[in-house]
Amino acid sequence: MSAPPPIEQSLVVFENVSRFYGEVLGVNRVTLSIPPGITSLVGPNGSGKTTLMNLMTGLVRPTRGTIRILGVTPDDPERLFRLLGYSTQFDSFPKGLTGFQFIYSFLRLFGTEHAECEKQAWKSIERVNMVEAANRKVAGYSKGMRQRIKLAQAIAHDPRVLVLDEPLNGLDPLVRAETIALFRELGAEGRHVIVSSHILHEVDTISDQVILLSNGYVVAEGKISGVRSEISDHPMQVLIRCNKPGVLAARVFEQDSVVEARVHADNGGLLIKTRDADKFYKLLNHIALDGIEIESVAPADDNVNSVYEYLIGGEESTK
Amino acid sequence: MNVTQYWSQIRAVIRLEMRKTFFARRGLWVYLLALAPVLLFGGHAIDMMRTRQDRHELARAHPVLTSALRSIKPGMTPDEVIAAVGEPYRRTSVGGRRRIRTWWNYTDGESQYTFGFVDDELQNISIRDTGNLQQDKLIFATVFQFFFLRLAIFFGCVGIFMNLFRGELIDKSLHYYLLAPIRREVLLVGKYLAGLIATVVIFTTSTALQFWMLLIPYDSATTSQYLQSGGWSHLVAYMGVTALACLGYGSVFLAAGLFFRNPLIPAGIVLVWESANLFLPAALKKVSVIFYLQSLCPVVAPPDRDMNQLLALLISSAEPTPAVWAVTGLFVVTAVILVLAARQARKLEINYGTD
Repeated sequence: MSAPPPIEQSLVVFENVSRFYGEVLGVNRVTLSIPPGITSLVGPNGSGKTTLMNLMTGLVRPTRGTIRILGVTPDDPERLFRLLGYSTQFDSFPKGLTGFQFIYSFLRLFGTEHAECEKQAWKSIERVNMVEAANRKVAGYSKGMRQRIKLAQAIAHDPRVLVLDEPLNGLDPLVRAETIALFRELGAEGRHVIVSSHILHEVDTISDQVILLSNGYVVAEGKISGVRSEISDHPMQVLIRCNKPGVLAARVFEQDSVVEARVHADNGGLLIKTRDADKFYKLLNHIALDGIEIESVAPADDNVNSVYEYLIGGEESTK
Repeated sequence: MNVTQYWSQIRAVIRLEMRKTFFARRGLWVYLLALAPVLLFGGHAIDMMRTRQDRHELARAHPVLTSALRSIKPGMTPDEVIAAVGEPYRRTSVGGRRRIRTWWNYTDGESQYTFGFVDDELQNISIRDTGNLQQDKLIFATVFQFFFLRLAIFFGCVGIFMNLFRGELIDKSLHYYLLAPIRREVLLVGKYLAGLIATVVIFTTSTALQFWMLLIPYDSATTSQYLQSGGWSHLVAYMGVTALACLGYGSVFLAAGLFFRNPLIPAGIVLVWESANLFLPAALKKVSVIFYLQSLCPVVAPPDRDMNQLLALLISSAEPTPAVWAVTGLFVVTAVILVLAARQARKLEINYGTD
């Protein structure tokens, strides 16, 4: 077998991957290249997020197509799982183990010696702030603690690729913030952190890029702003706070691409809908020079929630 | 990866599995199965020792010589019997209009003699020994082959080996193994060895305890004479057969746990096949684990005297396989089954929803 090209050595690559469960579609014709950083898989239940993660990790196999994780196929567990850690959505654990034993025992499967396993296990437990509970049985943990110990297990061997299925489920706000900070830290270290979530505002704050899934298909991928600008049938919305919203509204209609302008009830701002954001921002620079005091300009729908709603549909975006 | 690393991974798997196989609450019934014949032989030993003690006490109260008891012959009158051996320690009579039946009991401390009179004439003599090692050895062989091998070890292996993969699929925890940098074949070998260690420890301990219980009621002279004249090799052979049964049935049920969702189906099929072995033609007999195991047993279990005549006619005999071939055959069958299981393990996917 020929070695993958060097660029592939730093990417998670799906080439025309499909997976069917009998007659039921899991994912279909997925072609993706996921670079390092935090990537979120977003989609409603049954959209194929978990299937995509299970395909990446060899827990299920593609019906057709190929997958490479930094150049390694999921059929080669001996190499793959030294590179990759996966925290699944399954809320189940081997019976009778403490948090520490759970991580330590599975580190021993790497063939690593006792002392090294112990060191790695404690390090990962510290990273998820579970030191105090580490010697208690996992069966007695709360949902949030179980999530964290799974995360600790996934990161214990210091993988370059982390696949995390709904990792923020069941976490209280403080731990959620700590966990997001940990993802950022891992992403900043140049690792792939691939996270699935249906909590859109969280995805928005943590992701470098998103992959939107619906009914087993990838409907969009890339940076949020890039994805948003591709959606031409929904004009971009821009919020402007200024001292003369009425005057500003009249001026912006000089541009054909502006389709709607709505003055705020407090008369202190304006919501613009435009089909050409770049052209609009240039116009805004000229307007600012004409004596209208512009306090702030911010895109109103340049986020995952809006993108999701436009691409997948309003009824699903609430999930 | 080299062999040392594979071995270190296998040891890690065994360590993880041991906790489950030895201390799982749902595996308690395996211990009960293994202990059942120990309790049976233990009960028998206690009964024997109690009977012997009772007979010794009776013999002290009603002393009589063994030679005198042996001299009693059918046809003697009650007076002649009393003249030879004295009064019995117990008389039981059943009277009818025509005939009176009477039973007199004597003991020399070891055996119980019952003389049955009909109308003042001794008609039958029955002698019941407190213990008969020769007979007990046959009982041991029968219990070992018809209960211990065919049921206790069989279902013990169903319980332990099927759970190695199927149990974890049900508990939704198998994925942790599949997310480790370990070849599925290595995982399978580790799990199999863990199951084998557990079953061999549980069942060979049971075999040794049963054997001990068998000998406990006998005096040290009888016991040491038996042990010196082949008893030790019997024990080793029984323990070896037990270990080989775990090896063979273990591989069958480990594979069944990978191939079947419902473990009861393969367990039922194998049980029927193994049970029907007695009635199968000689050639088909050899396609079973039990045939080779029985070939290795040191004592041939006697056929059931109460067996239906028709069934007895159906029994076919096949020459036992020589020990070397039987052991080699079992190892080969085990290896083939494990290779098939490893191929299935390589294809294994995690889809708990449907498992």
